[in-house]
Amino acid sequence: MHPILAVFKKELIDGRRDKRAVMSAFIFPIMAPALVYFMLTAIIELRDSSKSITIPVEGAEYAPALIQWLEERDVTIEDFSGDAKEAVKNKDKELVFIIPSNYQEKLKALKTISIQVVLDGSRTDARPTINQAGNLLRRYNREVASLRLIARGVSPEVMSGIVETEVDVASKQERTAQALNFIPLYIILAAFVSGMGIAVDSTAGERERKTLEPLIINPVERYQIVMGKWFAASLFSSLGMAMTLVLCIVSMLQVPLDQIGLTFNITVTQILAMLIATLPLAFLAASMQMFLGIFAKSFKDAQSYIGILTILPVIPSLYMTFKPLLTQDWMFGIPMLGQHLLLVDILGGKSVPMIGYFLSAFSCLLLGIGLSFITAKLFERESIIAN
Amino acid sequence: MIKVQSLCKSFNEITAVKDVSFTAENSVVTGLLGPNGAGKSTTLRILYGLVKQDSGDAHIDEFNVHTHRVEAQRRIGVLPDSHGLYIRLTAREHIQYFGRLHQVDENELATRSDELIRLLDMQGIADRRVEGFSQGERMKVCLSRSLIHNPTNVLLDEPTNGLDVMTTRTVREIITELKNQGVAVLFSSHLMHEVSRLCDKIIIISDGTVVATGTTDEIRESASEENLEDAFVKLVEKVI
Repeated sequence: MHPILAVFKKELIDGRRDKRAVMSAFIFPIMAPALVYFMLTAIIELRDSSKSITIPVEGAEYAPALIQWLEERDVTIEDFSGDAKEAVKNKDKELVFIIPSNYQEKLKALKTISIQVVLDGSRTDARPTINQAGNLLRRYNREVASLRLIARGVSPEVMSGIVETEVDVASKQERTAQALNFIPLYIILAAFVSGMGIAVDSTAGERERKTLEPLIINPVERYQIVMGKWFAASLFSSLGMAMTLVLCIVSMLQVPLDQIGLTFNITVTQILAMLIATLPLAFLAASMQMFLGIFAKSFKDAQSYIGILTILPVIPSLYMTFKPLLTQDWMFGIPMLGQHLLLVDILGGKSVPMIGYFLSAFSCLLLGIGLSFITAKLFERESIIAN
Repeated sequence: MIKVQSLCKSFNEITAVKDVSFTAENSVVTGLLGPNGAGKSTTLRILYGLVKQDSGDAHIDEFNVHTHRVEAQRRIGVLPDSHGLYIRLTAREHIQYFGRLHQVDENELATRSDELIRLLDMQGIADRRVEGFSQGERMKVCLSRSLIHNPTNVLLDEPTNGLDVMTTRTVREIITELKNQGVAVLFSSHLMHEVSRLCDKIIIISDGTVVATGTTDEIRESASEENLEDAFVKLVEKVI
């Protein structure tokens, strides 16, 4: 058996039996998509405008036309009497309309009628109902105003000088991809989380348990030992990424995105493209962690270094969220940013230039090989191997 | 055969090995005797390619341990100073891992590991994970994994340290067995009785230099003392 393969196989067996490593490798890929599912579903429910609402109304009898108009628009009207402010404060009601008794009088006199909307601005759960009720009132206002103008022989168009018409060039899928920005972030994070246990255990762990000295007495080149370990950690990392990717997609398909005007479609080709785009990152993440791991004298020591490393992949994704850049080819060459851009484009159904795949894979693998090479050199150092 | 010539090695300001030369022939058990910190472990570490000497030469058979490290390492079986084991692997997996790193053929690996497990009386623990093994059991795992490739030279760093009587016996039997097979055995120890009982040749190291070489009798004579322990103390004190 080739020494690289021997080391690789041993690390896989060792890693698979390491409950700590397996837990840390696969809790994230399961938890992250589940969390996303519940969060998105909750957000959609809050933003859903198609839901029919109930409005408690005080003095409904003064404005039968308005009440009828509201009922035609799927609003359930509830007669309310008593202290409206108290009821809203106690969270008995989300809001209360108070129609004044002089409603008809003012309507006939063409005066402005004031309808009080009693609400609690600190209640986020009542926000959608309040917004919808407010929208309905404004629409009714425009209808009343238009009728008043027509009665005077004036076209209602006089009232609207300019109208804005949005032309959104983003496809529905692209808008969805934008809203699902966290998926690339999670996949990139998974690369760092899933391989960590085995990367650290096979470097800092070997030093801590004093197994490094017996290991390197064997007639094997140090780079072969490092490569075997590197491939094993990369395999864990890529499995974690693939799991996160697939589970994120599965959970996205369950979220009722159509209720907020987005659609999420994905083809097998897209999934494969995403896997290919992210795979090189697994190798980079593992090599970074092994590099740091070899400096650490113990597992705990290594975890504190590597914890800081995990912040790294979040930076490009966060930057892109707050300050989106126009994608240029060279950006694919920056590890992690490249993967982020690729994933966003693939998710958005855009055609990704081949150079994008090539540059991102090339930069990750080059950096990974470089770091592993340095790690192999460190394995030659007496201060590292001989305590 | 193991050959060491004028070895010298310092760590920062401390000179661990000043001037060490000796030969360990095939079919001979050579003992490296010296007080703690005399340079025994460092000499062995240079021999098995863990650290590099500042000057001097070390050869395993005809291979220079520094310029032909891997070739030299193929020819040695080592029980090093650290007895670290992978707690989640079984005893047999340890033996096989090291065998594969020595590129032992898979069929031979299976028969040879069975043989070693029998030889070291490990049948009951061979397929258990090593976590929770006793000191003696761990030592057996270390010893068997270092012999899996039938080395022609064996280096043992304090092989009986902290072992019970039964295991110590097994280790002694194995050393004798290796010698009969024509293997060059080099082992370090600070235990006088161990060395005098097992070794055909003794090398006494003190403060990084060889102070005496020869059989037990020769060493007693050169120090003009009745027993080895007195001879040892006398020789070592002369240097310090």
